[in-house]
Amino acid sequence: MGNTQSIMADDDFTSGDSGASATYPVQCSSLRKNGFVMLKGHPCKIVDMTTSKTGKHGHAKVHLTGLDIFTQKKYEDICPSTHNMDVPNVTRKDYQVVDLAEGYLTLMDDGGETREDLKVPEGDLGKDIEKRVASGENFMVSVMKAIDDEHVVGIKNMTS
Amino acid sequence: MLPQLITSVRCGQCYSHSDDHCQGPPGSSTMAPPSMVSTEQRQHAEHVFLSFRKSKSPFAICKTINLSLTKCLFVFPSSLQKYVREQILLAVAVIVKRGSLDKSISCKSIFHEVGQLISSGNPTVQTLACSILTALLSEFSSSSKTSSIGLSMEFHGNCKRLFQEEGLRQIFMLTMEVLQEFSRRENLNAQMSCVFQRYLALANQATQNVTLKPTETWREALLDTRIMDLFFTVHRKIREDSDMAQDSLQCLAQLASMHGPIFPDESAQISYLAHLVEGLLSMINGIEIEDSEAVGISNIISNLITMFPRSVLTALPSELFTSFINCLTLLTCSFGRSAALEEVLDKDDMVYMDAYDKLLESWLTLVQDEEHFPRGCFVQPAIQVFNSYIQCHLAAPDGTRNLSVNGISSHDEEEINELQEDDRELFSDQLSSIGMLGRVAADHCIPLLTSLLEDRVTRLHGQLQRTQQHLMASSDLGSVDRKVLDDLYEDIHWLILVSGYLLADDPQGETPLIPSEVMEFSIKHSTEVDINTTLQILGSPGEKASSIPGCNRTDSVIRLLSAVLRTSEVESRATRASLTELLSPQMGKDIVWFLRRWAKTYLLVDEKLYEQISMPLSTAFGADTEGAQWIVGYLLEKVINNLSVWSSEAELANDTVELLVTLVEKRERANIVVQCESWWNLAKQFASRSPPLHLLSSSVQRSLMKALVLGGFAHMDSDTKQQYWAEVLHPLQQRFLNLINQENFAQISQEEAVKQEIVATLEALCGIAEATQIDNVASLFSFLMDFLSSCIGLMEVYSNTPETINLIIEVFVEVAHKQICYLGESMKLYEACLTLLQVYSKNNQSRKRSDATAEEDQYQDLLLIMELLTNLLSKEFIDFSDTDEVFRNQDQGTPASSRTVSAADVVLYGVNIVLPLMSQDLLKFPSLCNQYYKLITFICEIFPEKIPQLPEDLFKSLMFSLELGMTSMSSEISQLCLEALSPLAEQCAKNQKDSPLFIATRHFLKLVFDMLVLQKHNTEMTVAAGEALYTLVCLHQAEYSELVETLLSSQRDAVIYQRLADAFNKLTASSTPPTMDRKQKVAFLKSLEEFVANVGGLLCVK
Repeated sequence: MGNTQSIMADDDFTSGDSGASATYPVQCSSLRKNGFVMLKGHPCKIVDMTTSKTGKHGHAKVHLTGLDIFTQKKYEDICPSTHNMDVPNVTRKDYQVVDLAEGYLTLMDDGGETREDLKVPEGDLGKDIEKRVASGENFMVSVMKAIDDEHVVGIKNMTS
Repeated sequence: MLPQLITSVRCGQCYSHSDDHCQGPPGSSTMAPPSMVSTEQRQHAEHVFLSFRKSKSPFAICKTINLSLTKCLFVFPSSLQKYVREQILLAVAVIVKRGSLDKSISCKSIFHEVGQLISSGNPTVQTLACSILTALLSEFSSSSKTSSIGLSMEFHGNCKRLFQEEGLRQIFMLTMEVLQEFSRRENLNAQMSCVFQRYLALANQATQNVTLKPTETWREALLDTRIMDLFFTVHRKIREDSDMAQDSLQCLAQLASMHGPIFPDESAQISYLAHLVEGLLSMINGIEIEDSEAVGISNIISNLITMFPRSVLTALPSELFTSFINCLTLLTCSFGRSAALEEVLDKDDMVYMDAYDKLLESWLTLVQDEEHFPRGCFVQPAIQVFNSYIQCHLAAPDGTRNLSVNGISSHDEEEINELQEDDRELFSDQLSSIGMLGRVAADHCIPLLTSLLEDRVTRLHGQLQRTQQHLMASSDLGSVDRKVLDDLYEDIHWLILVSGYLLADDPQGETPLIPSEVMEFSIKHSTEVDINTTLQILGSPGEKASSIPGCNRTDSVIRLLSAVLRTSEVESRATRASLTELLSPQMGKDIVWFLRRWAKTYLLVDEKLYEQISMPLSTAFGADTEGAQWIVGYLLEKVINNLSVWSSEAELANDTVELLVTLVEKRERANIVVQCESWWNLAKQFASRSPPLHLLSSSVQRSLMKALVLGGFAHMDSDTKQQYWAEVLHPLQQRFLNLINQENFAQISQEEAVKQEIVATLEALCGIAEATQIDNVASLFSFLMDFLSSCIGLMEVYSNTPETINLIIEVFVEVAHKQICYLGESMKLYEACLTLLQVYSKNNQSRKRSDATAEEDQYQDLLLIMELLTNLLSKEFIDFSDTDEVFRNQDQGTPASSRTVSAADVVLYGVNIVLPLMSQDLLKFPSLCNQYYKLITFICEIFPEKIPQLPEDLFKSLMFSLELGMTSMSSEISQLCLEALSPLAEQCAKNQKDSPLFIATRHFLKLVFDMLVLQKHNTEMTVAAGEALYTLVCLHQAEYSELVETLLSSQRDAVIYQRLADAFNKLTASSTPPTMDRKQKVAFLKSLEEFVANVGGLLCVK
């Protein structure tokens, strides 16, 4: 762990699975497309990033367009490229689906720990999950976590 | 068909005996006044004419009609709807065209009658005559405007040739007649001027060509000075009408481009040109040029300068030549000023800018051929044009930038997006010309630029200081008036751009030389120059140049560089004083752009490359000079400062790191760079991944890594070298290994800080691969190989994070791209790539792609994999490695047990992954489509033996892809697919018949046959298609004969049948029986060329 500490020495948060802060600041210019950023308070995936300037001798401004990683709603923001933007800590984890009851999933991680606090997502994904559970299929789901939100975002077949 | 034809004939007969009755009320439906023509009737009439155009042998009918045609044209009521009239005339033109080949209709009589119409003096009738001529012209002269009448392209081509020999000149002469008549008139009423305009447009059309290269037969018509005079007269008459003026100027521009056999000798050419120039000068000098004339006039000048040989230009009477050059000078300056005005007004239609561009281009042509002209004859003009350019780009009071007509300056802050090109690219043509003119008049221009730039820098310095004091008092940035600063920045911007273009060229891929004019200029003044003072000016960028004693005795070329260094110094100091917000990133870009261009040419100037060398330049910048060492150190400091201050300005950071790469990419320069302490600091700082360097964008970080690696191959003693690599590369490896070897790596891998570390490492690896050169590939490859296997492990860990997966694949792509051609032991790389693909495939088995929201970069991974496979295959074509190991031989030669992995294994495995994922929808993305076809063509060419072994559905989709690419994609892709066919057919020939591939090639035979024989195809494709056809014919001789038979039997016309049959016989005569033999194939290709030229137009129908 000692080495990771040194990597993170410049950042204003400490490492650890649970203690990580929800967001951390990044200079706007070093954000990248397909990365994450907080736009208007929502954790978003950046789908478009362009720069512009006011007048030929002006400084760069960054126009960010992002989709909320959970709701897929579109958000936009403009900020000077020297400014810091908050970037959410986004984690993904795969769970095996054990059961489904009253709209909630029972999930097990690769350490054998189970949890029952996640809802079946809405839409096609949710229907697909329900169908698979009903048919007794063995499968996994991907769970994405950012800020204080956590959602099932995808289905995976068992790999091994 | 028959009843319609009968109708037509009846109409014709009706016309033929109706001279008298034609004057009266029209008797048939086509002649009824428009009000009486119902839509139905009109449609019917149209139908009749269209049927004419479509019917196969109307000659007899035409003959009947012919006599009457022109007579009846009189009878069109003037009110007849224009559309109907044009349709009818077009049909007439088609009829004439058809009749022309078998002489059943003589154009002569038509021109005779049209001539009569013209001489009638009745504007309506003359308009009609003009319409007839226009219709004839467009039907005969160009293949694109030709009507589709179901005849072979050969026929159309013949018509065009015949027409150009005779008809075109007739039309031209008739047109001249009308113009002559009109130009003599004092006043033209509206109707007549309308007719005039039509004829003028016609004259323009008749001479329209890229450049005018008439045959000898035109001599009488075109060399007659009265013709040229007529056009000048006509233009003078109508120049206020912008549409007509464009036509008349275009005609003159055509005359100015005239060349070829029409001139019997050089003296004829000289007197023609003299007459043209005289006419032009008297036209321009007498008038104030209209906006609509600018482009036309510059076209005339540009054409005559480009088309007439230098010897003819210099043979002009010297007074006339001088007047011409003076006129060109004034015109250029004036267009330049008007172009600047257009910019201020933000006009959509930049006519003066276009005209200015054209004239500057002409100057460049002239000046590049300077040695042909009297010595020094361009110096004064160059000074004037240069001065006016500078003036237009500087703010008042020295210049006129942003001044509108009434002298009010505008200052708007428009939003500029990243897609807008930088001025240095946007105006590169203009700047090249101005730079070239600046060299011609170096005595004037270099000192001018220096003093202007020094003055602006002093002012900028003062202004920044005042602003700093102002901020100390109020500390509100918003209260700063940026107008003064922005004006200075814009002045400096243009001065630096012009200086850069004047002092150096930027040729791609070769060592740029100091321009000879600049070198001569420096040498000429070197006796007056005090070297020490010059070096002092150079070495003290922080001081005002004019404050240094003896500053007037310095080398001007070095002084100009020093002026840019002073600008750079003011910028750097402002950043240290925390005034970065007040600075212009644009100016920052200009500075590093200039320094890079300068360094490539002047730094460590190699005396061997020059006949003579300037002492000041070699003393200041030569190898082993203090000056060179000092400036390298200075540039390094600049780079380091920029990278820490400007990380938020991506383009500026990019230009900066490019300067750094330039400093180390040449070994001689790198040797000095690595002696600088700051270089080592930069390396350490980057390796520690600490701020501010880690804020740079990924592309800048890559280039920075590339530069640091390149520097490592400079000359150092072995201890130093070892130490260098320990500072630069080892930390990268250590950090990476420490991280991924942690027990809980899988758990912490998703943490942002860990991901960032991984991403930074991957980016660095790409940068390292980019630094590959032939002499460092061995050590870089072994370094990178250690990473590649770890990277595959990361594919598992990050299977959920597509951006990281893409980056990992990109590392492989880069390594393969930069190194495979040098590698003797490529096996290791194939192995690594194969494992990578296996892991990718495993992780993607269950991944679904939603095509609904398909976007190109969603498929980035596919694109990268195809790129990787193509790069691996490229070794087959480009191999610089020492060993003779060619992977294919190894694959076949060595026993299976000892063989590890071949390129074929990797690539075919990859294709198994890619092929099922490529849908027709995906092929709509150009980048995916190009990469895909490049890959499958490569595979067919390199491993044709593997194709029949593909699983059935893969094989089918590959064949389908080829057919699709051949028939319905761009010609580039079609060509790729054709190239893939020969090796496949050759492969088939070696093996058993009636394999699926054998059957597929039979299908391709028909496709290629149709393509070559029946369709209008791109001529560039003939070779690729021919090669494919030949090998396919070898394979399927019986089927080929069948195709030929079927085609022949469908021919009704005996003559055509015979010609085709002969042509097909000749085509295969040299290669019967066809065998896969190179010599025969070449013979076939030659015959094919003749075949296409001979009967290619016969079957292709329009």
